[in-house]
Amino acid sequence: MAILAKARGLRLSAEKQETLLKLTILSLAAVLSFATRLFSVLRFESVIHEFDPYFNYRTTKFLAEEGFYKFHNWFDDRVWYPLGRIIGGTIYPGLMITSAALYHLAWLLNITIDIRNVCVFLAPLFSSFTTIVTYLLTKELRDSASGLLAAAMIAIVPGYISRSVAGSYDNEGIAIFCMLFTYYMWIKAVKTGAIFWSTCAALAYFYMVSSWGGYVFLINLIPMHVLTLMVTGRFSHRIYVAYNVLYCIGTILSMQISFVGFQPVQSSEHMLAFGVFGLCQIHTLVDYLRSKLSQSDFELLFRGLILSMLTASAIIGTVLTLTGKISPWTGRFYSLLDPSYAKNHIPIIASVSEHQPTSWSSFYFDLQILVFLFPAGLYFCFSKLTDSNIFLILYGVTSLYFAGVMVRLMLVLAPVMCILGAIGASALVLTYMKQIESGKVTDKKSRKFENNYVLKTEIAMFFIFIMSILFFSYTVHCTWVTAEAYSSPSIVLSARSPDGGRMIFDDFREAYYWLRMNTPEDAKVMSWWDYGYQITAMANRTILVDNNTWNNTHISRVGQAMASSEDKAYEIMRELDVNYVLVIFGGLTGYSSDDINKFLWMVRIGGSTEEGKSITEWDYYNAAGEFRVDKEASPIWLNCLMYKMCYYRFGQVYTEGGKPPGYDRVRNMEIGNKDFELDVLEEAYTTEHWLVRIYKVKDLKNRGN
Amino acid sequence: MACGTLRALISLAVVVLASRAITLAVPNANVEPELVLKNVERNIDLQSQLTKITTKVVLENGGKSPMRSFLFAIDDKQKEGLSYIGAHTREAGRAALKVSKSEVKEHPDKLFYQIELKDSLPPGRSVSVEVEVVSTHELVPHPKEIIQKEKQLVRYTGNLYLYSPYPVLKQSTMVVFPSRNIESYTKIKPVSQTESTITYGPYDKRAPFSSEELAVHFENNSKFLTVTRLERVIEISHWGNIAVEETINLLHTGALLKGSFSRYEYARESKSGEASVQSFDTILPAAASDVYYRDEIGNISTSHARIKKDSVELNLRPRFPLFGGWKTRYTVGYNVPSYEYLFHSGDQYTLEMRLLDHVFDDMVVDELIVKIILPEGSRDIELILPYAATRLPDSLHYTYLDTTGRPVISVTKKNLVENHIQNFRLRYTFPRLLMLQEPLLVAVALYLLFLMVIVYVRLDFSIDKDEASESKLRIAGQCEKVLAAQDRRVSSYNDLDDQLVYLKANKDANAFLTAVKSINQEYKNATSAIAELAQKLKTESSDVYERVMELQRYDRILKDLYNQQQTLYVDKLIPGKVGRQPFIEAEAAISKKKEECVEKINGIVKSLQ
Repeated sequence: MAILAKARGLRLSAEKQETLLKLTILSLAAVLSFATRLFSVLRFESVIHEFDPYFNYRTTKFLAEEGFYKFHNWFDDRVWYPLGRIIGGTIYPGLMITSAALYHLAWLLNITIDIRNVCVFLAPLFSSFTTIVTYLLTKELRDSASGLLAAAMIAIVPGYISRSVAGSYDNEGIAIFCMLFTYYMWIKAVKTGAIFWSTCAALAYFYMVSSWGGYVFLINLIPMHVLTLMVTGRFSHRIYVAYNVLYCIGTILSMQISFVGFQPVQSSEHMLAFGVFGLCQIHTLVDYLRSKLSQSDFELLFRGLILSMLTASAIIGTVLTLTGKISPWTGRFYSLLDPSYAKNHIPIIASVSEHQPTSWSSFYFDLQILVFLFPAGLYFCFSKLTDSNIFLILYGVTSLYFAGVMVRLMLVLAPVMCILGAIGASALVLTYMKQIESGKVTDKKSRKFENNYVLKTEIAMFFIFIMSILFFSYTVHCTWVTAEAYSSPSIVLSARSPDGGRMIFDDFREAYYWLRMNTPEDAKVMSWWDYGYQITAMANRTILVDNNTWNNTHISRVGQAMASSEDKAYEIMRELDVNYVLVIFGGLTGYSSDDINKFLWMVRIGGSTEEGKSITEWDYYNAAGEFRVDKEASPIWLNCLMYKMCYYRFGQVYTEGGKPPGYDRVRNMEIGNKDFELDVLEEAYTTEHWLVRIYKVKDLKNRGN
Repeated sequence: MACGTLRALISLAVVVLASRAITLAVPNANVEPELVLKNVERNIDLQSQLTKITTKVVLENGGKSPMRSFLFAIDDKQKEGLSYIGAHTREAGRAALKVSKSEVKEHPDKLFYQIELKDSLPPGRSVSVEVEVVSTHELVPHPKEIIQKEKQLVRYTGNLYLYSPYPVLKQSTMVVFPSRNIESYTKIKPVSQTESTITYGPYDKRAPFSSEELAVHFENNSKFLTVTRLERVIEISHWGNIAVEETINLLHTGALLKGSFSRYEYARESKSGEASVQSFDTILPAAASDVYYRDEIGNISTSHARIKKDSVELNLRPRFPLFGGWKTRYTVGYNVPSYEYLFHSGDQYTLEMRLLDHVFDDMVVDELIVKIILPEGSRDIELILPYAATRLPDSLHYTYLDTTGRPVISVTKKNLVENHIQNFRLRYTFPRLLMLQEPLLVAVALYLLFLMVIVYVRLDFSIDKDEASESKLRIAGQCEKVLAAQDRRVSSYNDLDDQLVYLKANKDANAFLTAVKSINQEYKNATSAIAELAQKLKTESSDVYERVMELQRYDRILKDLYNQQQTLYVDKLIPGKVGRQPFIEAEAAISKKKEECVEKINGIVKSLQ
């Protein structure tokens, strides 16, 4: 006997059930995106990673301790000796202000959290926010089912995790959140045409500008969207309001960031936005005139207007460019458009590994199934074209291009991959899920019409099964990539010892701490620019060049010193008041990204200026055109400062069984120049595994000796 | 609050006065002329970086009256580095004697300590006492700078004789060195050297305050490490934990490193860098857990903890080996359970912990700062120190869930050695009810948060009226009520079912009828309630009204079926008017109809949810 159903108990209406489900999935995704980024903290410790984050950490600490005005006016004499650097005016302060604000808020509530921990956990925190914002954006673009899927996908996508693990305290960590948030606001504004939403978009844009130089992508993408809408005849008052409000308020706000300054109205990177702003006015005017004039009059006026406008803007543009009012495009942007540009023209840009073009494998490595779902998502967007979908398509296609040009822009691609992939996956799964369900409850009448579908339910089941496997493999892959590839702090190296245990190489901090404790407070340390930020942050000593790379000649000077013979280098070091020189040497442990492997860049950069003309790359290759370290190497290289500093007394060390002393384990050669003494330097400190070697520059010899 | 501040101020003032009083009230003493030191044996231990002088004295009272105490003078040279002085008897039990600073009018420039004897010394008798003096920074590296390969040589200059206000009849001095390598030493006969010791004396009678320079120059490669500053923070939680954190600034005070540091030689040759310090052991309390070892730039990965029976031994390796003149700074922290150190009766608490703890063997601490953070709301704080130290002004510390701040007691003292590892006592009052403050705070905060969410969700803050959604909400509310009434009806049906089963078994028609009466009453109420609600719904939404009416219709059918069943039972089955087979058939027919009806009703109910 059937039992009369009771409505009591956990009675939830369908609507409430949906809300509960959404909330649960979304909060789980947010928590997951935080948790999955903690591998490095659990395996190592709560520590800042890599290079740039150390600078951000140092400035954040300064901001938290000294307050905003001191920070804004901060002239840092610890870096770029003897030039110094005005920190407040040469950085995007959004990141520092965000963490300092969080820090002060926590202290206000008597939560005595360390500023370092705020910095370490900021990126995971913002990843959680990104997850939520992705949901909102995707929901706005399509539906909440895709939104949830996109949120779940972005929570663990390796392309984004690579730059937002705990400890990787960089601008990108919060910038992706800002970017997606701006997009969300923009889509809202386009859909409603409300000033409220466009103002919100402008504010979000302001936050984005304050936190990352990548805002340029955003301020080009939105005008491109507007332009596309114009071309496709979808331009309307809604878009007019949305764009004008965003452009006016956004530009004025962005100019408040002192590092950005007048660029939004002067540099060519921002000209598209400006041009589209003008075009909006013309378009509206034309629409207005069309409604008032007869067809033939309008045609005439229109043609004349277009011609005069084009000539006028072309003339003005040329004049301004020639007089230098509009700055030429900077190197990084040329290399965006032409991947080979940097390699041929600016060695300092090309020398950074993250500015290299992306390889195919890294697309799969960073995005996995999204690579295949992306076209599906695009298809579904095209099949139901709306104003906002066009934005998504544009975003997807342009960022795909840029990610192909530069590895680090994979970060910009990852979110749109997730969104499009989720739209594709959700649409596919939805179609087949419906078929599974309808297969059950079909009554006789409808079955008649569907007889031509053979095994409909079974195929649907099979498809869902395959999709589940794909999702599962995505999860496994993401977790594996995060754990293996993106969660090492690079400041602490770990290796497997022969007996299976874990060995920790903490040489970098050993050396930096030695510098901090045992050198004079005002000592100047020369090293290649890669280590500049770390030295200032951890050793608290003055350095010559750092990762900011704003002054090519200065870096070139350091490169010259490294590439010259001892005597010449001594002159340069005296000129620059150097007290200590620091090199990274991996020959004993087999750490391959050491200074010798970077040395050719030092030569190239050193030789790229007038003063270093005598240094040519070919002098450092041997007759066969190889770069070696053994006896066959070129004599100039065997006697230059870098070689001597790396291999000082290394000739006596036995590194590997069965190999002669002085066997370099990175380059797998026995070194060529073994017995030499240093004249102008003395070994001040070498770390336990020889990873970092510090030399003291001797004083001038006394007269008469 | 104001009262509390005032009290704190007063107690502060009292403390300040008290500490000043201590420095002022150095007791005056006289040098008893009748006292003679019959025999003095001194042992100068120079094996570590410390100078440990043990003096065994035999006192003789040559006067007429018994004596309670005697004076011990400190050499001018030793004044500077003097860190610790202690005395005990030489009898079995080695009872400690009270030592206090004192002044002598005749010798205002000299530093004296008065040592009180255990029992007063009658005239003509003698007693044997051992005095231990530890001083720091008296071994001076000579040469001042050495290269990595060289050994570390140090010089010590002291007094060959006991610097005493009393005449000494006979004395000898033994100097103990860490190795046999002795470069030079003062040769005042009689003197003899065996292995790593030099013995001077015995010398015959010497006048009071006689002095002769003793200079030795020898190899000493032991750890010349000085803790230049040690900040010890003890944070007490009444929830069962005491957290201790020590921030330690270390300086190698041996001979400075001259020239370069060669890692190759350091790793290769065992003779290289003998005077450098690569690691040392710190002994923590046995209950210490969650030990961490870090510095400004993060965790230091080179440390091992060995858990022993009565302690946790921590082998600490600084990031780099310490050569002469090299510095480092690190932090070590751990937790200990409070039941081992914190005692209470009622609201009275006593904390008993070490003021200074072990850092490494033969350590020298130039400056110690101890901060004790008490739980919020502690009052009447009273600190009892094992030795004189300067009490710093109290302050407040704010951390998680604090409102008024936790009182912080700070103490500082200069120049300490291992002998200063002694317990202090801290008494305070803490109303135990205050333990509830923090959980309550969290509870109230969460409560307010939920309340706010509830208010926000329930109330409409928009300024324009949305008719459609409001009517929707109203309908949803009415539906809820209809469903509730339907539930009542369902339970009345269930009761009826139960009664029918009971009736079938018992055949007690009268009891059944009385039970059914109340069930029916309940049913009627529910039905009329639904009817009433349906009327209200009529104006809001005709669709929902239709459905409710349908529900009513089917319900009526169901009720009829029940009535039929009831009649079947009461009128036919119980009087036995019907045969077994027809009864089963009739009941099955009713059941089937009921089932259909129930399915319909369930469908409607589902649609109403």
